[in-house]
Amino acid sequence: MLEGKQNGQVFKLPKVILLATNITNVELEKAKAAGFADTVIMKPMRASMAAACLQQVLGIGKKRQAGKNMLNGSMALQGLLCGKKILVVDDNMVHQRVVAGALKKFEVAVECRESGKAALKLLQLPYCFDAYFMDIQMPEMNGFEATHPIRMMESKANKQMNGGMDEDSGRKGEWHVPILAMTADVIHATYDALNAGWMDVSKPFEEAKLYQVVAEFFKSTRSNCFT
Amino acid sequence: MERNPMRRQLAIMRQSLFDQGHVDEQFVQLEELQDDANPNFVEEVVTLYYRDSARIILNIEQALERKPFDFRKLDAYMHQFKGSSSSIGAKKVKAESTLFREYCKSGNGEGCMRSFQQLKKEYATLRKKLGTYFQLARQAGPVETASRPK
Repeated sequence: MLEGKQNGQVFKLPKVILLATNITNVELEKAKAAGFADTVIMKPMRASMAAACLQQVLGIGKKRQAGKNMLNGSMALQGLLCGKKILVVDDNMVHQRVVAGALKKFEVAVECRESGKAALKLLQLPYCFDAYFMDIQMPEMNGFEATHPIRMMESKANKQMNGGMDEDSGRKGEWHVPILAMTADVIHATYDALNAGWMDVSKPFEEAKLYQVVAEFFKSTRSNCFT
Repeated sequence: MERNPMRRQLAIMRQSLFDQGHVDEQFVQLEELQDDANPNFVEEVVTLYYRDSARIILNIEQALERKPFDFRKLDAYMHQFKGSSSSIGAKKVKAESTLFREYCKSGNGEGCMRSFQQLKKEYATLRKKLGTYFQLARQAGPVETASRPK
């Protein structure tokens, strides 16, 4: 699990991974604001990208050989991601199948749902998922609406946990399920996310930045609100 | 270079799918997910795509029979279709979906109808080509690894 310190507290980060289609580096940089999503992935899901992002947000295996095709790299990643439990929420059955296929390749246990509502039922504390891949453009509930209740719930629980914590008493996790948001239209998604102070985006292989962004998120989480 | 003539034919057919722009990189992604544990992954996902698409196409057809057009609904349907098409790497179909959505956004009914006809054509062509391809693949036996088209 990725860990970071904020005011002496160490937190675990279940990751919000955004899946988006046309993200540019500029947009990615612009979207680095405190928020609910931990990273953006372009739709359709590339298997290697899914694993890389997941690996990254779960803070697994810092050294990864770049340039290896997935078939070679998969052996190393397989061990690292094996046994992780991921929730995938996408109302597009075909894409859902592709995402599940990609994750299962790394021996990740995948659970799929078609709606934000169904996902919210599964994402109650304590979590049984290590991360949550979520389409943020579903009709009945968009990604922001699906993650806000989660972050609010976490915020509440974390507030209750905060009493009596200090650096010496050891490490204690704060609730923050990694949400990997998927979108086919990242330009608009990042725009909306920025306006809402929603998105917290990180590129793979930039752990330090991810930590910093998420740390900022925890600081500002109470003031963030979106319609 | 494949020695088995059937496998060679399969490779040529596969290459032409890319060269003619019917499929893109995403199709390779599907192929890479196919292995001994999932020997028919590509065909399974594509079959799912056909089922999903049939439903959406019917919805769009019905929606296009109601005047005035509900562009918001049409766009929503096409968003779904584009998502599915994109997931299997159906390049031309995806491009036509994008065009249709542009027409929806600008409220161009004529454009929508034209684009939809074209889309159905591309979709039918894709189905035919993939159908032949999978049939040959089954006859040729399992392929070892996906190779990048160039």
